[in-house]
Amino acid sequence: MTTALIILIGTIVTYVIYRASKIVYKKWPLPFFHPLLLCPLILIAIIQLSHLDPGEYALSSSLWTHMLGPATVAFAIPIYKHAHLLRKNIMIILTSIAAGTLVAIGSSLLLSLVMQFNGDLLISILPRSITTPIAIEVSKTIGGLPTLTTVFVIVTGVTGGIIGPYVIRLMALKSPVARGLALGMGAHGVGTNKAMEYGEQEGTFSTIGMIMAAGMTLIWAGLLIPSLLQITIL
Amino acid sequence: MVLKTITILSQLALIHVFYFAGVGLAHILSLPVPGSIVGLVLLLLSLFAGIVKLEWIEKAGGWLLAELLLFFVPSAVGILNYKEILNWQGLETVLLILISTFIVMAATGFTAEKLYRRKRKGGHTS
Repeated sequence: MTTALIILIGTIVTYVIYRASKIVYKKWPLPFFHPLLLCPLILIAIIQLSHLDPGEYALSSSLWTHMLGPATVAFAIPIYKHAHLLRKNIMIILTSIAAGTLVAIGSSLLLSLVMQFNGDLLISILPRSITTPIAIEVSKTIGGLPTLTTVFVIVTGVTGGIIGPYVIRLMALKSPVARGLALGMGAHGVGTNKAMEYGEQEGTFSTIGMIMAAGMTLIWAGLLIPSLLQITIL
Repeated sequence: MVLKTITILSQLALIHVFYFAGVGLAHILSLPVPGSIVGLVLLLLSLFAGIVKLEWIEKAGGWLLAELLLFFVPSAVGILNYKEILNWQGLETVLLILISTFIVMAATGFTAEKLYRRKRKGGHTS
């Protein structure tokens, strides 16, 4: 098969199964049917049962992975439309995301120590709350394994997309700013996708939360994480 | 239908221009930020400067944001390459991520909600 044909098939198959997963989730909104859980599981089953090479699947679906780049650029649209909201709430945003990023790194570190994770695994899990491309940068900076970090980022996204609505209900988060920031901080793009279901304002705060979280984690990676690791591991 | 497809595709092309400009700029200046984020900033500045009109990109942008989960699917399938974490420790890892993500969302949301309420109250009295 030529590469072009492989890509055509992978693109279409992935899209069709994704659409079907979304329909299933809309009809039965159970956590287990979340599209980012159901769709990959079906694809994994297909790949395993037909003895396909996972590397070949990655190539065949690379058009969709590529779209993450332009999609990140497109986040400029909700920010532009709601710029006044951001200006009005800038202190809330900065404080909440500072708290969120520190809790993200701190709780990952503490839980890793409790569960007795070692070296690579521990370091690679620290930047998991932020969007993939920057998580990879942070992982490199602090001496983790970028590929392992990518897996943790995805698991964080799936988990956060599922538990987000429960957290919002449990913590009685009523304001769009609190809902959006919680989702964007906790589950990057996947959380932001969920936030947009709540409303445009939630989506905007989530977008800005996601970007700020990535920026602040980059700063912590330079200033804070190295000394944290030195204290806890050595 | 055809016209709508052409509109979306040309808008998608325009968003790609910003994406590739961002990637190029990040590379040339060796910025520690991914090109897509640089592209976001470029597009945002162009929107504010009026160089790009919202209508020129809104349809394709809306589609990209609505289908975001689709773009994560191949990476999620990529977990197949990490069979070694599909064991007991893998289960522990998922548990860790679940607990930590819960705490992170709760802490962030709690802080924002408290500050929001205080600000609103402050606004009424002053």
